[in-house]
Amino acid sequence: MSAILEKPVASGRRQGSGDAFRPSRLRRARKMTPMGFLLLVALIYLFIMVTFVLSTMRSQESLVRQGPFGPLSLGRLGFDWRQLQGFSDGIYFTWLKNSAIVAFGGSVLAVLVALPAGYVLAMLHFPGRRVLLFLTILTMVMPNTVLVIPLFLEVAAVHEVDKLWPVAVILGFFPFGTYLSFIHYRTTLPPEMLEAGRIDGVSEIGLFMRLASPLAKQAIALVFFFAFVADWTNYFLPLVMLPTSAVQTVSVGLQELITSSQLFNASAAAGLNVQLYIPELAFAALLQMLPVLAVFVGAQRYLARGAMLGAVKG
Amino acid sequence: MGAAPRRRRKAFAISGRQGRGGLVLLVPYVVLLLIVGIIPAGYAVYQSFLARSGSGWGGVSAYHEVVTEFQFVGTLEHIGLVMVVWLPFMIIGVVGLALLLHGRRSRLVGPLRFIYYLPGALAGMGNFVLWLFLLDPIDSPVRPLLSWLGYSTLDQTAEPSHLPVIFALMLFFQGAGTWILIIYGGLNGIPEEVQEAAMMDGATGWQLTRRIKIPLVRPWIAYLILLNIAYATQLFLEPQVLGLATQGTISPQWTPNQLSYTFAFQIFDVPAAAALSVMLLVVSLVIGVIITTRTGLFSEQT
Repeated sequence: MSAILEKPVASGRRQGSGDAFRPSRLRRARKMTPMGFLLLVALIYLFIMVTFVLSTMRSQESLVRQGPFGPLSLGRLGFDWRQLQGFSDGIYFTWLKNSAIVAFGGSVLAVLVALPAGYVLAMLHFPGRRVLLFLTILTMVMPNTVLVIPLFLEVAAVHEVDKLWPVAVILGFFPFGTYLSFIHYRTTLPPEMLEAGRIDGVSEIGLFMRLASPLAKQAIALVFFFAFVADWTNYFLPLVMLPTSAVQTVSVGLQELITSSQLFNASAAAGLNVQLYIPELAFAALLQMLPVLAVFVGAQRYLARGAMLGAVKG
Repeated sequence: MGAAPRRRRKAFAISGRQGRGGLVLLVPYVVLLLIVGIIPAGYAVYQSFLARSGSGWGGVSAYHEVVTEFQFVGTLEHIGLVMVVWLPFMIIGVVGLALLLHGRRSRLVGPLRFIYYLPGALAGMGNFVLWLFLLDPIDSPVRPLLSWLGYSTLDQTAEPSHLPVIFALMLFFQGAGTWILIIYGGLNGIPEEVQEAAMMDGATGWQLTRRIKIPLVRPWIAYLILLNIAYATQLFLEPQVLGLATQGTISPQWTPNQLSYTFAFQIFDVPAAAALSVMLLVVSLVIGVIITTRTGLFSEQT
């Protein structure tokens, strides 16, 4: 207890002067071991990711014969591209388009729905508010796979299986986005501003449209980013909702590439007119990551704070 | 949050009847909550009590069918095994790395956090393709390691008994970086004065960690454990696609979600699929309620 009560005299950096008396070699050794461990883990991570990315610029034969490091050729990327184009008349690019529709639709809807909801939860007092907030946090911490089969039964009951729009609508429900917007308004919008607007006779909806939404650039960027990444990488939902190959999204499409590959299915691949080995599969996996990367770069300056919000608050 | 404490506003902008007009803004969210959350859950409960023949009530027959299905206990064992390997690995790895990073004044801390976070961008199928590359001894960059362990084909590396370890590694690689950020954020929330005071009292680095840092981030560690238990019960993509890639050495009903998928799309036994979904939903709900009400992470917000 006394540890907490006793305030330090100098409030500067934590670098206690006591440290200086310790033998410096011992001190350096104690600092090196943890740092060495952190670097070792990072090196393993980098090794895995770099060899994976570089595999797209090598041939399968080179991977087999020369191990993790062999000669690279940029021309190889064009070869990978042509294999993807040749696979089932370029269905890979249809999958990319479907993913774009579903993920873009889902995350725009998520922003449009979550922002006003977060605003109301943060700014207005109404009966049922606590229940709604509780449900928001509860659905936010539950894995999104949990309702996939029930959602399929619901969509099948209204005969809309194999269509993209129900998937986008389902993805538009993004409670984490509502929670982010809620926190955003709770911490940035002074109620006095709303009060002033009310006195000027602005309607409640007008307050949100003219006052609150222009202030929410950061919340919009964050909700869009997190929703887009979640929607783009979602696998179970499109797998179940879109049974026909031509309407699949790219994450399910990647699975089709794997199961058509000469590496993993020799019999089915016998009639395949393209090569689908590790370089081509890695190329397909990395190519479909580019939109996520683009959104990441676009939202980057909002993410530093957002990661904290997202991190600390769930 | 590590930043200066924000002004806490208990009072709302308005109270009473004023401002009710704004509730219109809530309508789209509530509608989606209903059609994407509550209605499908209720519909699944309803379906789970129907008879398989498609006509009339079946009572609890669908539940009985699921529980007595010969693979059901196996799927629970599998996710139990995954948890036994994955959870300690995740807890020690994530908390350990976050603690090692925290309080280090090296310029490398930022880049290191970024490197740990990077695989998260390749989440889902992308990460899976990467792991196929790693696990298949034919072309793996870690082939010497795999051949030292005695594996020369993918079927040998991904033998069923290895799956808990493989999935633990896959999920750690994909998700640990995000969790390191979360725990690191929690550590940043510890007031500087508390740490300073402990150091003044002569606490060593290890004592500081054990007596101050770990107890203060305990809610986030609890959150990590609970959320990952919930995710383990939902495992689907990894066993499903690894099963497809290894062609038959791994059961297509390795996890409960895969069993539910089989009920719905291979056996066309909708009540059984619904019943299994309802059971899994209840598990997730219980975990979710514990996270929401017991960890203390969200209580001050409501």
